[in-house]
Amino acid sequence: MSRKKVLIVDDEIHIVHVVAIKLRNNDYDVISAENGAEAFELACSQKPDIIVTDFQMPVMTGLELVEKIRQYDQTKDIPVIMLTARNFAIEDQQKEDLQISQCLSKPFSPKELLESVEDILYHRAVINR
Amino acid sequence: MVVTAVVAVSLLAGGLAQWLDYGAEDGGHFAGYLQRIPVVSACRIGGAVGVIWLGWYWLKLARGITSIARRLRADNIMNSPFGGKDKAKASGNAVINELTEALSEHLGGCSNTIGRLQKQVNDLQIQIQLTQRQKGHIEAIIYSIHDAVVVIDEFDRLLMANEAAGSLFNFNFSTSQHKYIGELIGQSKSEFADFLQQSRQNKAQPTRKEIEFSENGEPKTFDCIVSCIYDQDRQICGAVAVLHDVTREKEIQQTKNDFVNHVSHELKTPLASIMAYSEMLADGEAKDSQTQQEFYSVIQSQAKRLNGLIEDILNISRIESGLIKVDKEPVSLTILIEEQLKMIKSYAREKGVSLQDIGKSRVVFDQVFADKSMISQVIVNLLSNAVKYTPSGGSIKIETEVDETADIARLSVIDTGVGIPENEIEHVFDKFYRVSANEKQAKGTGLGLNLVKQIIEKVHDGRVFVSSKTGLGSTFGFELPLATREVVESLPVKCGG
Repeated sequence: MSRKKVLIVDDEIHIVHVVAIKLRNNDYDVISAENGAEAFELACSQKPDIIVTDFQMPVMTGLELVEKIRQYDQTKDIPVIMLTARNFAIEDQQKEDLQISQCLSKPFSPKELLESVEDILYHRAVINR
Repeated sequence: MVVTAVVAVSLLAGGLAQWLDYGAEDGGHFAGYLQRIPVVSACRIGGAVGVIWLGWYWLKLARGITSIARRLRADNIMNSPFGGKDKAKASGNAVINELTEALSEHLGGCSNTIGRLQKQVNDLQIQIQLTQRQKGHIEAIIYSIHDAVVVIDEFDRLLMANEAAGSLFNFNFSTSQHKYIGELIGQSKSEFADFLQQSRQNKAQPTRKEIEFSENGEPKTFDCIVSCIYDQDRQICGAVAVLHDVTREKEIQQTKNDFVNHVSHELKTPLASIMAYSEMLADGEAKDSQTQQEFYSVIQSQAKRLNGLIEDILNISRIESGLIKVDKEPVSLTILIEEQLKMIKSYAREKGVSLQDIGKSRVVFDQVFADKSMISQVIVNLLSNAVKYTPSGGSIKIETEVDETADIARLSVIDTGVGIPENEIEHVFDKFYRVSANEKQAKGTGLGLNLVKQIIEKVHDGRVFVSSKTGLGSTFGFELPLATREVVESLPVKCGG
């Protein structure tokens, strides 16, 4: 089975670093971006299997990124996990409309994030089978 | 007799009409519920009852006189042809005596009745005066209440409203009394009229609701409490509403919520790194010693960042509450600037921003009387902000000058950065405020400039200033009073670090 590719988007370089190590240690390929605009370019060119993005970022926020990727055929089906340090930042309706698979509150556990990634990709694989 | 009866009936009818018509005009500004206290009506009814009573006595007296006259006539008919003069005289005397006694008895009764009535009238007059005084007091109290007060009757007609209510709902009470509240209050404020009517109709306990509507074009929030009014028979005869303006409280609450949200967000960010890296270490995810060392280093730097944030928040809080410890001494601004420039140089170089050395601008030899660590914090905040919002290739210069006329030293940090939109300039020193156009430019807490303002203006009686043009750059700076000669001479001078 080919290794799954995860795009991590956060302007906090330490968060990107630690999540990347956790995922690489568990056989994932990791690409990263510092903001939404950069992430969109990567999503189009690299076609990741899942995106883990921060909510609040410079240039383009996490929500703006998700809105944008949902507009293009080549990116619209990519599942997204949103990380946020603000409670209630994303309303349930918004989450549903933008098909955000999961929201994780900061501080989060890398182990918990890995489990979420695995769950979402597993269900995606079952549906596509 | 007939006249008496007519007068009595008229008075009685008048009194009853007055009693029933509790919404009469003579209540003036005072509410109908007080008009229902039938002071005037009772007085009139009492008078009417008294007149009837008097009439009854007069009737009884007339009957007595008629009866005696009949007896006298009968005695004359019977005795005059056959009886002697003495007998007739004796009989006449007895009748006169009887008549006199009856008269004096009746007159005594009348006198007592009149006395009693007079006393009742006096009592009633005193009660009227007392009631009017109470009415005046209550009226004055309600009119002096700052909150809007509106009173309606059981038919939802306006009974009373104070000036605040008139101003809020835009009506004149004297011309609006007895009008339906729904008609008086415009469509834009109908939520209040509906709430008031519903509360009265539901006969509910005092009910409370926050209602928002605009006053003089400004959105306002009112805490509205409606209570039903009960008469002596515990029947609801109206409702009273008090509207308290809570706009300011709501704003403060919102500011507090924003503060908590901002603080928690800013604290969570470094905390997230600390927790993630420590979990990775605990789970053995750092495979080699170099990675482990790297993780420890991140934890340490994020802990420092967290501590810095907490210090900033606490410092602002301490300054605001006047609890911060200030250690003022004569210091040279030039030396402080040189020190902070050393700290910021590497950051500027990393970003590709040129930093003009202080040596090229005028050196301020004069000293300011200031807390050295606090002013250092101010300078580093201004410099790091300038670097943060200046794109690569831009430049930053520092200017210092002394205004000897005004006895102040001035420091300006001038950058060629992104600038600030005109409508946002006035807010840049607000706590947690971030220029929306530049929010995506760089990370920040919105605390740095607020701390600058607090330190300069609250602690040092100085002044902060800012000028900016979008796309061209900004100038941030401050003015501090120069240390007086007396102060400089009285203290040992300590320069530099």
